[in-house]
Amino acid sequence: MGEVIVVTSGKGGVGKTTTTANLGTGFALMGKKVVLVDADIGLRNLDVVMGLENRIVYDLVDVTEGNCRLKQALIRDKRYETLYLLPAAQTRDKTAVSPDQMRQLCQDLVQEFDYVIIDCPAGIEQGFKNAIAGADRAVIVTTPEVSAVRDADRIIGLLESEGKSNPKLIVNRIRPKMVKKGDMMDIDDIIEILAVDLLGIIPEDEYIVISTNRGEPAITNPVSLASTAYKNIVRRLMGENVPLMSLETNDGFFGKIKKILGM
Amino acid sequence: MREDVVFKGSRDGLQLVFNEAVEFDIVMEQIKAKLESAVNFFTKGTIVQMSSDLTGFTQDQQLELIHLFKNYGITLKEPPAEQPGNPSSSGLPSVETELAQTLVVTRTLRGGQEIVHNGSVIIMGDVNPGAKVTAGGDIIVHGACRGIVHAGFSGNMDASITAERLLASQIRIANLISRAPDNLDKPERVETARIKDGIIVIGPAN
Repeated sequence: MGEVIVVTSGKGGVGKTTTTANLGTGFALMGKKVVLVDADIGLRNLDVVMGLENRIVYDLVDVTEGNCRLKQALIRDKRYETLYLLPAAQTRDKTAVSPDQMRQLCQDLVQEFDYVIIDCPAGIEQGFKNAIAGADRAVIVTTPEVSAVRDADRIIGLLESEGKSNPKLIVNRIRPKMVKKGDMMDIDDIIEILAVDLLGIIPEDEYIVISTNRGEPAITNPVSLASTAYKNIVRRLMGENVPLMSLETNDGFFGKIKKILGM
Repeated sequence: MREDVVFKGSRDGLQLVFNEAVEFDIVMEQIKAKLESAVNFFTKGTIVQMSSDLTGFTQDQQLELIHLFKNYGITLKEPPAEQPGNPSSSGLPSVETELAQTLVVTRTLRGGQEIVHNGSVIIMGDVNPGAKVTAGGDIIVHGACRGIVHAGFSGNMDASITAERLLASQIRIANLISRAPDNLDKPERVETARIKDGIIVIGPAN
């Protein structure tokens, strides 16, 4: 039996889909059998980010409505044998699926896969309720902006009232230099408000834009900073204890000495 | 879903307001969904006042409504009789003496969550931005208070608000409102807000 993880945020544009694609690919890199479920019916993106758009024949709504078997709708990734995608329907909307149907779907998927990762739509309406219905764990994505943190707080509250406590937090698009200057919220400020466990931080990385446009998750790039951060998060989700990566890019002579001395 | 049913907090407590144009069944369904989704907030003994536009329903339907609320331990009160003079002063004191128990909340209130209680409220956790606490008595927050807090909502001018870190975006006591200055310093110690000479004053707790 595997595990169902929902990636959610409340606010749009903070990196849920990018995170889903990278975590999924990361699990596949570790040899796990993974399926990514796009719950953003009507505004699907995950297929594009994964570069699998032109292979879609059946989608999630076809499965729940019984137009096809679950196996027929699963698309195998181009690069990784153990990575699959269940795409969302594009011509329907969120009301095409109910939370009960999603719960059933997750139960079916979790029999076959080690990890089921659900990409949740923005907002707190039906689409959100569908996405979290079958999840065992939740990963909250936020950016270091007051508005994103507000929405994340609201989402954590809603998850708690659905009985899904202990969500884990990913802070995305951190710019270490801005934080240092005090122009950007730092991790401690965010954690203080949200009071949840930190799963990882992902630095702002131009390569994310490139990889999204190419349809290959950034985690496959060995030199990208974000890639390392995502790999660490994958290992933490698998239960390993990985220290947070240092975001200091240019700490000068004394910084380097301190690092060598382990201070 | 369109919101045809709204619970409004007024000076006289909670009030049930709904869209008169909507059918009774839909109203019932929405009330049920609301009560179900906020079991923690509608604590037993809560009193909800009907708005006066209930008269559009038949006697049976009104009874059905009252029963629905009863199942959740909530008393549905008739709308205030339209008598000239002082409607609030007669009904309220009895409510306060009857239900002035202290409510202890052992979690952090997140944005969008709300607590309404006739007695005092103690919160063992934070009150985050966008969360709201309304109490008939005092409010004590063992944590950071960043949301909206309203103590003594039924007109109790002696009510106070104490927090380990009082950073509330808005403080209301009885019928007075004060908002935080735009550049709020982080308080170093426990502070209390109370009414002094007709304005809300914040000082160190004692």
